[in-house]
Amino acid sequence: MRAYLSVFRMRLKMELQYRGAMIGGIICQMFFGIVLVALYRALYASKAQTIPIEQVTTYVWLQQAFFRMMIATDVDLYDKVKTGNISYDLCRPVDMYWFYYIRVTAQKLMGSLMRGIPMMIVAFLLPRGWGITPPSSIPGLLTGLVALLVGLLCMSALENITMAFTMRTLDPRGMQSLLNLLMITFSGNLLPLTLFPDSWQKVITMLPYAQLLDAPIRLYSGEYPPDDFLLIILRQAGWTVVLITVGIMMWKQNQKKMIIQGG
Amino acid sequence: MAFNTLHLYIKSMGMLLKGQLQYTSSFIMQTLAQLIMEGGEMLAVILVIDRFENLGHWTGGNLFFFFGLMSVSFYITEFFGRGVTGNFPSMVRSGQLDTLLLRPRGVLIQVLCSGTDPRRITCIAVGTVSLIMGSNMSDVSWNALKIMVLIESILMSCMLILGLFLIEGIFCIHSVKSVELVNALTYGGRSACQYPIDIYPRPLKTLFSVVAPFALTMHVPASYIMDKPLYGWPVWTAFVTPLSGAVVFGIMTVLFNRGIKFYRSTGS
Repeated sequence: MRAYLSVFRMRLKMELQYRGAMIGGIICQMFFGIVLVALYRALYASKAQTIPIEQVTTYVWLQQAFFRMMIATDVDLYDKVKTGNISYDLCRPVDMYWFYYIRVTAQKLMGSLMRGIPMMIVAFLLPRGWGITPPSSIPGLLTGLVALLVGLLCMSALENITMAFTMRTLDPRGMQSLLNLLMITFSGNLLPLTLFPDSWQKVITMLPYAQLLDAPIRLYSGEYPPDDFLLIILRQAGWTVVLITVGIMMWKQNQKKMIIQGG
Repeated sequence: MAFNTLHLYIKSMGMLLKGQLQYTSSFIMQTLAQLIMEGGEMLAVILVIDRFENLGHWTGGNLFFFFGLMSVSFYITEFFGRGVTGNFPSMVRSGQLDTLLLRPRGVLIQVLCSGTDPRRITCIAVGTVSLIMGSNMSDVSWNALKIMVLIESILMSCMLILGLFLIEGIFCIHSVKSVELVNALTYGGRSACQYPIDIYPRPLKTLFSVVAPFALTMHVPASYIMDKPLYGWPVWTAFVTPLSGAVVFGIMTVLFNRGIKFYRSTGS
């Protein structure tokens, strides 16, 4: 357990080092946020919807703020598979799955906090209807935060499944971009899930992708009442357990069949 | 000389294509991934149109046309200009650029010769489908003039996009780290200008009409084709404004060639 904790701490510190990349990332993400908000405002001007525009802009900003949580990946692992250095990892006295799970969780946590907090502060300062609105209620904020943490665990579990797929090939780009696309579409980054056709939403909100950021955002904005919190957390935790189990099985299988690149 | 250079470009494109097609299954997989990716982008537009029907005075069909024009132009650029849009930063970082400086041809043309991205073919296909859908739904009455404007618009947009990616290259040479900033112009421009410019607030309008004139190379000619002139501008503007793409490319080429003089190799 102590070994995992120190891996976690080290990765947190390491991610904290990339402050230059952080500023660039924030500006870029802010820009995308402003473009999207402007677009949805123009669309709302043509035909208003039952969901108020403030909720859509809040959704957009929170998605942009925690974008890093979704896309941060452990590039070291790909290099290790390519060069054969993965053999060192096999010698470590820790379980490989959990070793990488902890690493990527720390990376996603620190990366998104570093970008998300400044971005949210700026978005709060934007005029009403452009930026983030305050949470619907105190319970909404607290339950949203808890759901965000569970969402993070779920996201790392998904990430490790993606890793397991890509470990089987030397060139991970095809599979990786396919899985990432599924995630970006069905997690609400491309278009807020609240704007999907209502009949689709019933299915989409059940998928694991909606558990990452969509569920916490809806708790925050009060679209899911805090009373439903238990049900939502159960759904999130359920998917997390399922995805971790599948991930562990895939990694075990990969480890058995692994061919180390020599040279 | 110019003819010879063109010959070289075509030849290296051919070789690169052949090389990439050697890994058939990986190639098919990645091409499919690209198809789904661009399909996802189009799905977002379809869902937006499904929910909102119109965007100001633009109909759903108009929006498909704008989206198609952007994807076709953007991905043609990535197909043929991969050297600039993708490979260049790593060439600088690894010191590979040194080899280009030794050869008796311009650096830029050699960079262009160094990469292609045939996987984008499916993205171009999605864009074409969207263009055709958009033109049918908006009842465009095609004539020779309009076809010419469309071709001009796509060509000039490609030059514009290439020019914007060159900015990233210039930054790279001076080893400025914040490349993401330029992404706001290129990828941000793609996302923003999939939709017509006149829906955006003034600062964004200015940015995409003056600094990165996507509005001039795409939206002005496209709205002429659909008989809904942007801002009510006269017909001749549809022929003239796209040329701004060539202007941006020209300026960036000059700056790029100047920037190369400051290049310091990172060593082997």
